Amino acid sequence: MDIPLEKHKGKIRTVELRKESPSGLAIGGQDCLALHLFEGSYPNKPVIAWEITDTDPSKWLGDVRKPYKDVLGDPVGWAKMVREEHGAKIICLNLIGTDPNKDDKSPEEAASLLKNILSAIDIPVIVKGPGPGEKQNDVLAACAEAASGQSCLFAAAVEEQYKTLVASCMAYGHALVAETPIDVNLCKQLNILISDMNLSLDRVVIDPLTGGLGYGLEYTYSVMERIRLQALGGDEMMQNPFICFIGDEVWKVKEVKADDPAWGDREKRAILWEIATATSLLYSGADILVMRHPEAIKAVNEAIDDLMKG
Amino acid sequence: MSKIIATAAIRGAHKLAQRAEDELNSAIAEHSESAAVSLPGTAYYLPIIYSMLGLAVQSLGDMKKVLARARSLLPEVPSENLWLPYLGDALDAGMAALFAEEIIETLKYLTGPPPAEGIWLGATSDATLRNQGIKLVDGRMPGFAACVGALPSVEDAVKLARDLQERNILVFMAGSTNGTSMADQLAEAGIEMNWDTFLVPYGKDITAAVYAAGFAARAAMTFGGIHPAGMEEARRILLYNKERVNAFVLALGEVDDEKYATAAGVLNFGFPIIADTDIPQILPSGICTYEHVVSRTPLESIAQKAIEVRGLKIKIEKIPVPVRVGPAFEGERVRRNQVALEFGGKYTHAFEYLRSKELDEVEDGKIEVVGPEIDDVEEGSALPLAILVEVAGREMQKDFESILERHIHSFLSEAMGIMHVGQRQIIWIRISKDAAKAGFKIRDFAVILRSKMINDFPSIVDKVQVTLYTDEEKVEALHPEARAAYDKRDQRMGEMTDESVDTFYSCTLCQSFAPSHVCIITPERLGLCGAYNWLDGKAAYRINPTGPNQPVKKGECLDTVKGKWKNVDDFVYENSNKTIKSFSAYSVMDDPMTSCGCFECIVAILPDTNGVMVVGREYGGMTPSGMTFAHLAEAVGGGQQTPGFIGIGILYITSKKFISADGGIKRIVWMDKELMERVKERFIQRCSEIGEEDLIEKIADETVTTDMAELVEHLQKVDHTALKMEPLF
Ligand code: SF4
Repeated sequence: MDIPLEKHKGKIRTVELRKESPSGLAIGGQDCLALHLFEGSYPNKPVIAWEITDTDPSKWLGDVRKPYKDVLGDPVGWAKMVREEHGAKIICLNLIGTDPNKDDKSPEEAASLLKNILSAIDIPVIVKGPGPGEKQNDVLAACAEAASGQSCLFAAAVEEQYKTLVASCMAYGHALVAETPIDVNLCKQLNILISDMNLSLDRVVIDPLTGGLGYGLEYTYSVMERIRLQALGGDEMMQNPFICFIGDEVWKVKEVKADDPAWGDREKRAILWEIATATSLLYSGADILVMRHPEAIKAVNEAIDDLMKG
Repeated sequence: MSKIIATAAIRGAHKLAQRAEDELNSAIAEHSESAAVSLPGTAYYLPIIYSMLGLAVQSLGDMKKVLARARSLLPEVPSENLWLPYLGDALDAGMAALFAEEIIETLKYLTGPPPAEGIWLGATSDATLRNQGIKLVDGRMPGFAACVGALPSVEDAVKLARDLQERNILVFMAGSTNGTSMADQLAEAGIEMNWDTFLVPYGKDITAAVYAAGFAARAAMTFGGIHPAGMEEARRILLYNKERVNAFVLALGEVDDEKYATAAGVLNFGFPIIADTDIPQILPSGICTYEHVVSRTPLESIAQKAIEVRGLKIKIEKIPVPVRVGPAFEGERVRRNQVALEFGGKYTHAFEYLRSKELDEVEDGKIEVVGPEIDDVEEGSALPLAILVEVAGREMQKDFESILERHIHSFLSEAMGIMHVGQRQIIWIRISKDAAKAGFKIRDFAVILRSKMINDFPSIVDKVQVTLYTDEEKVEALHPEARAAYDKRDQRMGEMTDESVDTFYSCTLCQSFAPSHVCIITPERLGLCGAYNWLDGKAAYRINPTGPNQPVKKGECLDTVKGKWKNVDDFVYENSNKTIKSFSAYSVMDDPMTSCGCFECIVAILPDTNGVMVVGREYGGMTPSGMTFAHLAEAVGGGQQTPGFIGIGILYITSKKFISADGGIKRIVWMDKELMERVKERFIQRCSEIGEEDLIEKIADETVTTDMAELVEHLQKVDHTALKMEPLF
């Protein structure tokens, strides 16, 4: 019997990160819907990026601080730990300390930290700024310069503020995350604007923005599907891999924080929440999942391996 | 091309090539052909030569090869009796001149004198290029000015530098006039010059101007991702510069052959030349976006002129008025007892009027208050007011006037403590006591308007001047012109038909909540929210070419009656997530347009009456269909095609194309009272156009009935046309 298969004319671009290093990674490259191995080729597995922060993340819940208690506030040590002890393939350096409303660390500090991390570990690094604003521009520009030629992934360009980051990535050979608020057309528009500036779309990863499970996840889910369908249908401005930043979204929701014994063991519940959020997004097409808890990461990694067996 | 310029440029290029050759020969004599040469801090070799020829010059011997190429580019100096040397000849000569200059400058690093000495900085490193280039690419720096020569006085030099700095324009300086350079003059005035102050002195020799061109060429390679190899890449590098590196040359003082040659060289990059002296002009555009060479520019306006010629857009970071300006203050009311000064409303005569003019008729930033200012009158009084905004822009069109004018409302309301209501001649403006206390003056209206127009509409507005009349007589005098303009605009929109244009505009703004919804906006059918008509769509596309309003060429007409076009169908299919295959612009029955949820009214068929009803958004009561507006909205919205139901903008009711495929306005049997009141005037007019003067009397509303059986009875009684029309289905 012949199984009727959907053939797509489009293909997701391959974004290469830290290609200079033997532990570099390629993201995306598939020509079918999420994990539909039976329909097309899927050259690169979805990956999980371990989130680490430049300063002690005091707002993180105890449950997710605990596994990292010896390295909080020591980002280089933290990066080494997830690499060496947990076999991380990619990390996400979240520069929360540069937020002008927090520690207001200088762009130079962030840049030299990034340099140190890059020399301590050989895997790709996602660099996340403190959020849109002048400070983010300065911080990411300085980091891009410091990491010149190491093809990192910088987050994020948004519609109101993308030009400086695009220019920095062009100048120093990096990729960037294009972030739009859960909207197909805005996503496409930002990609057009970015490619209009001459940055090759081979260096763009889409962040469709997501909420945690129970907090708008389903909107993201369907927008991701629509973007993918359009991309596979041949729309060149949408053919980019997805990244989903899950950590913050999961670890702030009431169901994760609440200490209600009727809801069962909190730590377990929190980990399950992160797993459920991550796997849902995996099914809708995420190529990079940025996560926090080692156990959640382990479980989702196993799921990925399983799913990718075909 | 002016013969004088071409001849001078070619002559200059010959001289430069000769000089390069002489210096190269003596360098070879002193060292050897294999001696290494390079510019410091760059991986792009000699960037102009590398980018244009794809040749990596690394030794004196390599330079020899380049010079041979330069020679081959050099045309003969035109003889006396040749009248029209080609522009192409001069451009080639210019390119050869740049190659020669780059060689001369590079040789200085080998044989001296060192280019970076004293105030002079010499070659730019790649690190600096990247750093500064990012600002050029992301728009923080609108462009760079290559200043060649010197100004008549130190003061003039300082003023020019300040004019350019104020606009964040990077200033490169090279060459001299009578032994002095602009950089010397700035140094004399004690002005700090380096990359941080945006003032970069390259070198006193005219050949140092090549560093500016090298900067541009490297920008294209770094940020344009173009790898030099041959002609095609060279062309792309030049185009990149024309389109994205907003540079221009200021030729200051007397222009000699070498300067002409250099200028011809950078013309290749699309950088226009603006001179203060009387050199021949080259106005038609071709290589540059606009004019090529503009001369006799008065010093005090040379910066402004350059911006215009290069088409630079400068953003006003902070609007210089004493109150805060932002969308947060938009809805603010100023109450009677807080009023410092007011205009219009029921108190005085006031109106606002925006008109477009030619570029040379508008002086950007000119602001005038004619009549009393706020300090001249007592607190709480009222003055007449005419706001006259005059804009000019290369891409400005008359059709955009009304759109810009409509923005006066939001622009002024965004100022804290300012209330603005209405538009055109029914405006009402109040300045609060707090704003007055903060120092707000009437002229600040003008400041806000200019800044906002420039910032928000950079693609169509280049220059703005504003006059505010508060003198009764002057206000009256201007009013007739304004009124005539309003009428003319309305008439124009009214006269435009779907047949008179070949392009419609789409709107997909509402896809954020109705993913498959697309509005196709035609001259006779505006967007269903009522906020976008065809002209708005056209302007919006101009302003933001990648935004939600895209032009849709009608293409082949598939059905004139229903309003179906091939390209429209294709566009809708592609942009509705491949869910909507076809659209009828003029039918409620057959493939009607989809509705998102923002419609101003709903048209729904009432099968028993063989007609339709129209219900406005505001109407909360019951309708003859047995559904309220809210219920109907649920059935219509969400981006689906629901035959028998459409959401529309109010103005469409009185359009000639109102469900014209289904019989048009004669089909209306019921409309809520408030809605009818709103459209009455135009409705009556439309009825008389089709010879149905009494139609309006026959249409029922909620005061007649909301019951279907009663409605049918009523229609029979008044003998409504719909009953006799062809069955709807
Ligand atoms: S309803 Fe208005 S805003 Fe929405 S898509 Fe149509 S024209 Fe655009």
